[in-house]
Amino acid sequence: MIRRTAWMWVGLALAMAALPQLGGDYLIGLGITLLMWIALAESWIVLSGMTGYVSFGHAVFYGLGAYVMVVCWNNLPGWAGFLGAGLAAGLFALAIGYPVLRVRGPYFVILTYGLAELVKFLIINTEAALGKFGRLVFGAPPLATLYYLMLGLATLAVLIAWTVRRSRLGLGLAAIREDETAAENAGVPVARLKLIAFALSAAIPGMVGAVMALRSSYFEPLQAFSPTVSFNIVAMAVIGGGDDAPGPILGALFLVLLSELLWAHLPEVYMIILGLLVIGFVLFAPEGLHGRLQRLRRP
Amino acid sequence: MSAGLVLEGVGKNFGGLKAVSDVSFAVPEGAIVGLMGANGAGKTTLFALIAGNERPSEGAIRFDGPRIDGLSPDRVVKKGIARTFQIVRPFAGLSVRDNVRVAALYGRGGFAGSAEDWVAAVLDETGLAEQADKPAQALTLSGRKRLEVARALATRPRLLLLDEVLAGLTPTEVAEALVMLRAIQAKHGLAILVIEHVMKALMRLCATIVVLHHGLKIAEGTPEAIAADPAVIEAYLGESAAHA
Repeated sequence: MIRRTAWMWVGLALAMAALPQLGGDYLIGLGITLLMWIALAESWIVLSGMTGYVSFGHAVFYGLGAYVMVVCWNNLPGWAGFLGAGLAAGLFALAIGYPVLRVRGPYFVILTYGLAELVKFLIINTEAALGKFGRLVFGAPPLATLYYLMLGLATLAVLIAWTVRRSRLGLGLAAIREDETAAENAGVPVARLKLIAFALSAAIPGMVGAVMALRSSYFEPLQAFSPTVSFNIVAMAVIGGGDDAPGPILGALFLVLLSELLWAHLPEVYMIILGLLVIGFVLFAPEGLHGRLQRLRRP
Repeated sequence: MSAGLVLEGVGKNFGGLKAVSDVSFAVPEGAIVGLMGANGAGKTTLFALIAGNERPSEGAIRFDGPRIDGLSPDRVVKKGIARTFQIVRPFAGLSVRDNVRVAALYGRGGFAGSAEDWVAAVLDETGLAEQADKPAQALTLSGRKRLEVARALATRPRLLLLDEVLAGLTPTEVAEALVMLRAIQAKHGLAILVIEHVMKALMRLCATIVVLHHGLKIAEGTPEAIAADPAVIEAYLGESAAHA
């Protein structure tokens, strides 16, 4: 059973790797969107799924990454902007992590949301002061290149989530989620572990933002820091299951396909259905699709 | 410098309330010391101060010489002090084995052999081996109290702080738990500081007993001396008379 599941994932990865050879621009674009959400939601669970510190502001890392990329573009080589985006997002998480991660539960949720909005408006004001209203990116790499970058990021995010979940770090994070005080008294250095998880969960979204800035050839803070990005990440992780690496893949696959089907015909219904789905999963299947499937398979 | 735990004039204020004031005593290496006192006497606060959950407002706490007050709980664990919680705090969603594994991997370490062997040995000693793969939330109260001890023990402490691990257990369970605690203490050569309301158990387990009353130490001595101490009798009878 385990071997079959493993082959299934390998098959999925190979299919995704072959996609640009098989499909046209539409399919490649859809693939980038799917991989983007997988990378974002997988990164999110490293912090929020594993420690229970639910971030409602992951758009901030995505937006910062996009911003770093467009600022670096034409001034520095592309790879520098790409890595710089990840570094900037990770360092930002480290910088704000210590005070922010002292706050738990609903307060943490609100704080992360508020911080993301704060950074958004700081950048809007900075851009306005510089006389920039949106930045265009000229000479972005071809779609297939961006696709493979995103595939790399998604794969890396899955591997990080999978590895952390099975590591000493992951066990410490689970202890924090279950009872932070008891974890501390069992010797878990809770402040340090939370900070590591936060930085890990921020770096890849930064690079994802960088790739997406090139993909849209355009940077506009209201879009790049849109709370919708944060909400979608949470929705995908909740629907797929935030406990282990397969969850976000299922959640992203499900929601990306659903939105693709609905946007064409019933765009106004998509957000309603998304809301209902999140409510339904939280109430009736908090373990998500992945958890449900695992339970069905168990004898 | 004397080995073991030494409290020097330790006090803790919460706002205007003095939960603990000017408490001094020692728990020498390998000794079992009992801590008794009515509800609200400051026993659990004292544990929180020693284990690093709270910072003392005054005084010093030393372990094998250097001061440990003000260290975070995980640092205190690495110095070799582990506590249990009166109101049990299992990692409910994790298996019993994972609960113990956390403490083994993040505790003081340095055990002979692999971490997995150490975890198995601790589960065995605390009588949890058969339930190891159940989620911790499936344990009975007695099981959860054992898990508190198992998790503390897995950090490989040299001083164990036990906060009412016998409270709420049936007489049979108390007897079993006492056998377990004695075996653990003998095997690991631990010092134990134990808070207990089950008086008989405390009298049987400890060579020395410290009595707290309204945050102050009112007596310290052998169980016999404590049982005959007028200040202790007055504190206890006074309280029960007030309840009548």
